[in-house]
Amino acid sequence: MAGATIDHLVAFTIFLAALLLFIGFYNQMNQTAIVYQYHRFIATKCSDVLDSMLLNPGSPPDWGISGNSTRNLTFFGLQDPEFQEYRLSPFSLMRLLSPSAQQYNNVSWNVNGGYLLVQASECIGYHNVTSLLGISGAYDFQVAITPTLTVNISQVPNADLKLEIQVYGTGFPLSNANVNYLMFWANTKTPSNYPILNYNFTSDLLQTDSSGIAFKEFPSLSNETAFTFIAKAYLGGICGIGYLSQETVTDAGNPIPYIQSYDNGIANIMLAQNPETGMGNLYFNASFYALPDNFVPIQAGNFVGSVNSSTPYQNLTITTNNQTGFLVVAYDDGNHYGMVITPLGVDSIGAPVTFGADVSGKEWVATDLRQILIGDIAYQAKLSLWSLQGYGVTG
Amino acid sequence: MMRSVEVFIVIMMMTGAFLTASFFAVLPSPRKVSPLNLSRLSLTTLETLDAGSDLGIVAFDTTNDTAWNQLQVALSASLPPNIVYNLTAYDISSANGQPLYSASRSISNTQSLGIGSDAATYMVASSNVTFSITPQKIAATLYILNCSDSNGWWITGYTVQSIAQQFADMFASYFDPSSIVMVQNTSQLGQLLNGGRLGNENPQNAIVINTCGEAVPIPTSYAIQYQSDYAQYCYQLGKKVNQYNWTWASIVGYPFYYVTNTGQPPLNQTQNTWGIYGMRNVDYSDDTGRAGLNAFLEGIDNQQYSYSTAGLTSGNDVVSLTPSALNNCSYYGIFPSPNQTVTRALSPSIITAYNLTKGVNILNTLSTGALSGRVFNHIFKGDSNVTGSLFTLGITRVPDTRLATLGILCNYNPVLYRSQYTAAGTSKLVVLQLGLAGGS
Repeated sequence: MAGATIDHLVAFTIFLAALLLFIGFYNQMNQTAIVYQYHRFIATKCSDVLDSMLLNPGSPPDWGISGNSTRNLTFFGLQDPEFQEYRLSPFSLMRLLSPSAQQYNNVSWNVNGGYLLVQASECIGYHNVTSLLGISGAYDFQVAITPTLTVNISQVPNADLKLEIQVYGTGFPLSNANVNYLMFWANTKTPSNYPILNYNFTSDLLQTDSSGIAFKEFPSLSNETAFTFIAKAYLGGICGIGYLSQETVTDAGNPIPYIQSYDNGIANIMLAQNPETGMGNLYFNASFYALPDNFVPIQAGNFVGSVNSSTPYQNLTITTNNQTGFLVVAYDDGNHYGMVITPLGVDSIGAPVTFGADVSGKEWVATDLRQILIGDIAYQAKLSLWSLQGYGVTG
Repeated sequence: MMRSVEVFIVIMMMTGAFLTASFFAVLPSPRKVSPLNLSRLSLTTLETLDAGSDLGIVAFDTTNDTAWNQLQVALSASLPPNIVYNLTAYDISSANGQPLYSASRSISNTQSLGIGSDAATYMVASSNVTFSITPQKIAATLYILNCSDSNGWWITGYTVQSIAQQFADMFASYFDPSSIVMVQNTSQLGQLLNGGRLGNENPQNAIVINTCGEAVPIPTSYAIQYQSDYAQYCYQLGKKVNQYNWTWASIVGYPFYYVTNTGQPPLNQTQNTWGIYGMRNVDYSDDTGRAGLNAFLEGIDNQQYSYSTAGLTSGNDVVSLTPSALNNCSYYGIFPSPNQTVTRALSPSIITAYNLTKGVNILNTLSTGALSGRVFNHIFKGDSNVTGSLFTLGITRVPDTRLATLGILCNYNPVLYRSQYTAAGTSKLVVLQLGLAGGS
């Protein structure tokens, strides 16, 4: 009798343990499948959101070139309204305001002497964008629009001004690529101390070597010369553009261009003095150039003036006629020269744009990639997207 | 001991069940759970490479090693380092009407793309080929009333001549040049109505577009003959339409409401009660012009002439284009507004009264049942042949020549012959297959 009871107890204990063990196994298998499904759904959502952004211009479609339309945006999209497929508006991309930005959107701050700062009231905020995309509260994202070709320009130590132009793609140097360039420089001034903005658009064609590198030397210019150099590379159907502007901090500081607004072909740019040790006169000579696809710039405005402690900024009103281009600014304090550049239309100098929430530390981030065009410049759009609702999101 | 053995058997069964379930519950590999959309990446890469037609040029230049090497460099530079690819250009030929694709040249950076690859196809056109559309010619004469000695009504903002020129331009590719005849004045119109020709055209089965709106040009001889009752002129027009099996197109408003001739006294001294001289209402008994359409329909039906001012229109409404008209908008590339304001739609009672049948319509029927934007074909009882047609839009002013053109094209339905993209040598198919390095 006692033997049968012990047999029962042992058998029951083993049975219970095995049952619990197998329930655990099944749960784990189910859990893994649920997680897989959840991750798959996020990847699909990522692809959908990316296409939704890239394949419609938004509503109203002219919001890229109109501040008023930006404030009345009812649907978000980045497509160039004059084109189809994956062509993005160079102006819409300038109006994106990430959560970390405050008064200006800070797309580019002193990157190779280039600034892209658009006033926040002229931009659309990240949280508005998530609402317009219908993913507010469910997903966060970050979209990075970067040139497919990196055109990296650096100054080679030399007696004369010599520049190295390195062209490479996301995984490959671009050998035998044709390179065109635009050169602006300032090393002289008028009797009133305003810098003279020189330029050379009759550029000879360069070609990169097997490492994707080309050199350009300017024997008539010393290596102290302030310059802005813009290079456009082309091979096998893809174009890339890069720039280097030699920004120097003079005794009177340096100017920073802030885009206050651009509306239906009129851009207002505030050129403000960034004071250094003193607040003396900083003289400038600025020109806006429209830059068509043929890479022959057309001057569409010139401004000469100065900023100082009593007049710390000057407002420049530029008629752009909704053409992409750039404002190149030469400046001096009477002794030292420098140059900065700001684009109107991101493709004119190949500025990258990153917009959205901070991706670091997120649990599961789905990414997707598209090749796009802005103007004739090849870009890549990479969207990183993650869920804010954990495992509850199953679609 | 017996219970322990039973439990052991149960555990064995549960283990078996678990293994069986695990075998069938195949979970995808981690890369497939959250993959890059390779198909889209492939398509967008091809579109980018062909943005300046470079891909198309290289695809047709299969013997140019330099160009293909440059393409490979560009392709490698465009794609992320962990992507492997195979790009192949295919020649297109056809056999028994079916396109055949044969590989002409290929580039790749891998021997195998693994089983998780995806591809996109892209058609590129040869730079040596011009794709064209050739419309089928309508086998009829097109008379456009471009009478210099007439005025128009409800063509506000246009002149008779500008409308006539628009029609000539829009129909230019649908008719033989010799078949488009501009009726330059009322004398030529009279010549036509008297059985003559203005050139080598065949007046039988012709289309006549009245560009004067609600007014109709009247030749001097008819103006003198019927000055006491201009409705009789409209009656004669109806008889000619019947005799020659014309299709008379009224592009706006109430058809045959006024007659116009700016050179013939006393008509040139008369105004249409709205200040337009050289024009007057058709009715002699009141200030309307409704007798004109009644008389025209009597004429087209070969009835005895009877003066009548009974109104034949019914209701005002905003109506939309019919589905078939919308399809034809895309087919012919003519895009008028899909909604039109109709104030002169015709009562359906004319169908039985004048032996008419409903032909092609480009505008939907009004809520009152009235008909607009429609061709009315005259067919005698017991006959199957059409003997004259009236195409009336019934829209309010101002006229839209695109709408009238669309109606006539819908009625005759000429075929557009497009260059075939699959014709040998005109296009190539480029396929870009992408995979992730390391297989799936």
